[in-house]
Amino acid sequence: MKLLAILVVFTFALSACGGGTSDSNVTNDSNNTGSPSTPTGIDTDNQTGGDSQTPDTGNSEDENPDAGAQDGIGAAPIVDVRAPGNIVRKGTTIVIDSVVTGGNEQLTYLWEQISGPTAFILDSQSSSLNVTLPETNSPNRDDFVFALTVTNSEGLSTYTETTIESINAMTQKQAAALLHQSTLGPTHAEIKAATGKSEEEWINAQLESLTTYHMPLLANYPNKDQPSHINRIDAWWKASLSAPDQLRQRVAFALSEIFVVSDASSALRGEPEGMTNYYDMLLKNAFGNFRTLLESVTLSPVMGVYLSHLGNEKADLEKNIRPDENYAREVMQLFTIGLDELNLDGTVKLDKDGNTIPTYSQLEIGGFARVFTGWTFAYSARWNRPSKNYTLPMQPFEDYHSNLEKHLLNDDIIPADTGAEESMKLALDNLFMHPNVAPFISKQLIQRLVKSNPTPAYIERVATIFNDNGQGERGDLAAVVKAILLDDEARKYSVVLEHTGKIKEPILTKLHFWRTLNAASQVNRYYTWNLSTTYGQGPLLSPSVFNFFRPDHRPSELLDSNLVVPELQIATDSNMISTTNSHYSNLVWRMAERKSALNPNTIYMYGEAHITLLEETGLHALLDHYDVVYFAGSMSDETRSALIDLDSYFENRTSADRISQLLYMISLSPEFNYQN
Amino acid sequence: MTTYNGKSRRAFLSLCLKGGASVAALTSLQLQALSNTLNNESLTDYKALVCIFLHGGSDSLNMLVPTSGQHRTNYEQSRQNLVVNDVINLTTKTQFEGGVGLHPSMASLTPLFDNGQLAFVGGVGTLIAPTSLVDYQNKAVSLPGHLFSHNDQQATWMHGQEKISLNTGWGARMLERLNQHSAFTSNISLAGSNPWQSGVQTSPYALSRTGVMKINPLSGYQPQVDHVKSIIDRLLQTHTNSPIQDAYASRLGRSISNVQNMNNLLEQAPVLTTQFSDNDLSQQLAAVAKSLSISSQTTSQRQIFFVSLGGFDTHDEQLTKQPALLSTLATALSEFQSALNELALQNSVTTFTMSDFGRTLTSNGDGTDHGWAGNQLLMGGAVNGGDVHGAMLDQLVGGPLDVGGGRLIPQFSNEQYFAPIAKWFGLSEAEVHELFPNSMNFDAFTLPLFNS
Repeated sequence: MKLLAILVVFTFALSACGGGTSDSNVTNDSNNTGSPSTPTGIDTDNQTGGDSQTPDTGNSEDENPDAGAQDGIGAAPIVDVRAPGNIVRKGTTIVIDSVVTGGNEQLTYLWEQISGPTAFILDSQSSSLNVTLPETNSPNRDDFVFALTVTNSEGLSTYTETTIESINAMTQKQAAALLHQSTLGPTHAEIKAATGKSEEEWINAQLESLTTYHMPLLANYPNKDQPSHINRIDAWWKASLSAPDQLRQRVAFALSEIFVVSDASSALRGEPEGMTNYYDMLLKNAFGNFRTLLESVTLSPVMGVYLSHLGNEKADLEKNIRPDENYAREVMQLFTIGLDELNLDGTVKLDKDGNTIPTYSQLEIGGFARVFTGWTFAYSARWNRPSKNYTLPMQPFEDYHSNLEKHLLNDDIIPADTGAEESMKLALDNLFMHPNVAPFISKQLIQRLVKSNPTPAYIERVATIFNDNGQGERGDLAAVVKAILLDDEARKYSVVLEHTGKIKEPILTKLHFWRTLNAASQVNRYYTWNLSTTYGQGPLLSPSVFNFFRPDHRPSELLDSNLVVPELQIATDSNMISTTNSHYSNLVWRMAERKSALNPNTIYMYGEAHITLLEETGLHALLDHYDVVYFAGSMSDETRSALIDLDSYFENRTSADRISQLLYMISLSPEFNYQN
Repeated sequence: MTTYNGKSRRAFLSLCLKGGASVAALTSLQLQALSNTLNNESLTDYKALVCIFLHGGSDSLNMLVPTSGQHRTNYEQSRQNLVVNDVINLTTKTQFEGGVGLHPSMASLTPLFDNGQLAFVGGVGTLIAPTSLVDYQNKAVSLPGHLFSHNDQQATWMHGQEKISLNTGWGARMLERLNQHSAFTSNISLAGSNPWQSGVQTSPYALSRTGVMKINPLSGYQPQVDHVKSIIDRLLQTHTNSPIQDAYASRLGRSISNVQNMNNLLEQAPVLTTQFSDNDLSQQLAAVAKSLSISSQTTSQRQIFFVSLGGFDTHDEQLTKQPALLSTLATALSEFQSALNELALQNSVTTFTMSDFGRTLTSNGDGTDHGWAGNQLLMGGAVNGGDVHGAMLDQLVGGPLDVGGGRLIPQFSNEQYFAPIAKWFGLSEAEVHELFPNSMNFDAFTLPLFNS
């Protein structure tokens, strides 16, 4: 187990001190180390957890040879300080004990805090220190040093320093805030489970949890022997609703809005396995390396069909045929580097005349277009008889791959006669090494998870981790996600920035209600038709490769500011009304407890827990609960009083009616739709 | 400016809220009071513009093709397997070397062309200044940013100007210039938000295809509706220190009042005898026709509408995709014009197309890639129809207009296409030059797109 409290002890004698052998034993209880100090001093034990170490006895040459127990003059107390075992958390009160061996009479104690955020010491003159550590005010651990000076009746003192690390213990609201950014809409149980843990502990556990793939949830359409498009949507709901690996699901959803494929209106509508497999590929790579993700995206037959590099042939000058440029263009513009050269902090670079600098020209597009020739469905018998295998990565036919030289970024050239596989790898390496990738991808992930308008400094901190995770690895997405979520600007424990937060994606608000209300149909199907026309979005349902909204969308309300709000691009009048209508039909019309009979095919919400809370503890307790679950603790007094006033009209109705109306009003409230 | 905008929107909202749940009773007089906040003294007539955006970059050089001579030979040699045969010969007022052949999938448009309600604009595209191949190669003139990129070129067409920090669409700028922006009914989209209709003081009202949208919590037992509405209003009118949250609140409040007002108007719409097909574009244009049928009650003297048809990014299967797309476009256009005739609005409404870009003359096997110059359509009773305005480009790969791969340099800038439209809509020539900053580099009114 990781060491969570380190005890550093060094002692020295203030006056004559003996070099006698200490008979004290090191106490090693649980994770904590206590070490006896000896008057031989200067000897710094920097012990780590689980180590068992007997302090040196006093033969050190450094010691004052004139002093010492052998002279029989006297000895300073031998102090053994025992920091608490287990994990030390912020906001808790801990006890640090001291045990003094040899001459226990008439000892005086003095505890002092040497460094760290100010802690509250109850009594500084007793043998054990009773100290209350400050609450969580940053995502990082706090380090404290406490000193104990023990003086005996002879005036001989021993000075001991103890280092305590305290890690965060998220309050319920802090946990809720983190989980709003990192799940598909947290349930109360998930928030409760995260409460008391540190952010890093929760994230690490999520990073390590097993992946919930969607393919096993892809059912056949009723009375058919194969799935249809709606079964892909059904599988997405099932996984999103109940997967324990919520962070991975959330990040994969974000990636699906960057590496866009869609079956909204394309031949892919008939390929639910291929589409589901694509989503699984995003899940698989969500915490892997960006370079691997990029190659998996590139070689996906679904992407190959969507951006038409599958079946793309080398040039045939006689027929005036040249390679398809579609993927070449979009892999640069949308998946890796964008149009303009960027600084590490995501701001655009300008040339000496103040103009932006394009990242590529037609020359590079032509080069990359040649790279992506010769690829088709895996295990195709012949180029012209494709296997139509929509799940395995594409495979090349060299005869159809351009053997001309390929001009890449940075004037890198793939020489003529380089094969398809090697060209692809060289080209993706070339893209991956471009300095734009880190800020370009980091910024968009921040926007999907945390806030629409990250400061350049935030982008730079995350992009720096993208470029090097601390162990020399570039493109470690787990490290990037962690950096995004643990950043001060995401956690906001100390800094209060003017422009925080984002508008929640409408499909995620629906999902949040469904997750917290155990949405289900008796036949266990989630057939949600018309997601695009109701919410303006849905999983892998973008109208084009440019996603539902652009990362730089500035709504008309904010034209005179420098703020972007991508999600408001789909907040058209008709989408807004159909979204709120849909919330109403879910939360009011389809609240199971309001029904006398249930239709087996209909998806109902189950408000049982909310009803119990209302009936047993009253409206205020219910609103406290909603504050945590739906507002991450940021429900204002205005919103609370509006909800109380709303409920006053429904007071004499059933509890199911009352929670329905409250939930509906929450669903359209600006505070709920804004992820602070 | 936006402060004013915010205030005006709030004022508008609060006025609507006075109607509260009984907003269904909002009369056209009240609506007039809402929309007449700015003077429109100079306008005495009614006009509307309908933009059809062909998303993805239409291969419009394959919509109008040469029929004979060297131009046909060049065309066939360039296009190879994507050559269009069995074209419809158009009789144009202007004579073009090689003739003008219309794609056979658009046969339903020939009556409109022949009776002068339809024109084409040829060889048009985004330009900052007149550009020759040598200029292009030597970078001797400024070029539009990010040529051949979808969303950038779409934005350039819709903005009517190059990227600037606070960009607006030329449709919205026209409304604002004419003081016609304050009524939401003047700016209607059937295809969501888009740059063309987004201005400083106006953004499009997104109409659903079915027109009337019921707002679930605001229908039913009136006392409950009133109570719920009062709580909604409280929540939406609370101002916070988050501009993002406030933008959401203002957007939802505006949506509710707009939808209620529009519902009220559309309930009075007459039933048209013109039948619209089931395709996406026809359905959007049917909703536009329905909105136009009640235009006299909105007091908007200028309206702009935006519809779109996607799928033109024919990187593959062009031989099957393009005929279907062009057929849909032609069918929808002729149905729409028929509905306008029925409403006697044929001379007041002009319909026109825009698209990301033309496409390459060369093929990538079974499709084409992002190009530059293309052809557009313009329809209406005011249009100088029965002709191709501009140029029928010589479709020659490696020819004097080809910057590579069969991407042709436009011979007319899109601003030369927009300028006569804006002038017809009611802007002065000086205002048109102000609206389109690069139009000064060209003769803005050289194309006689409208009957004088």
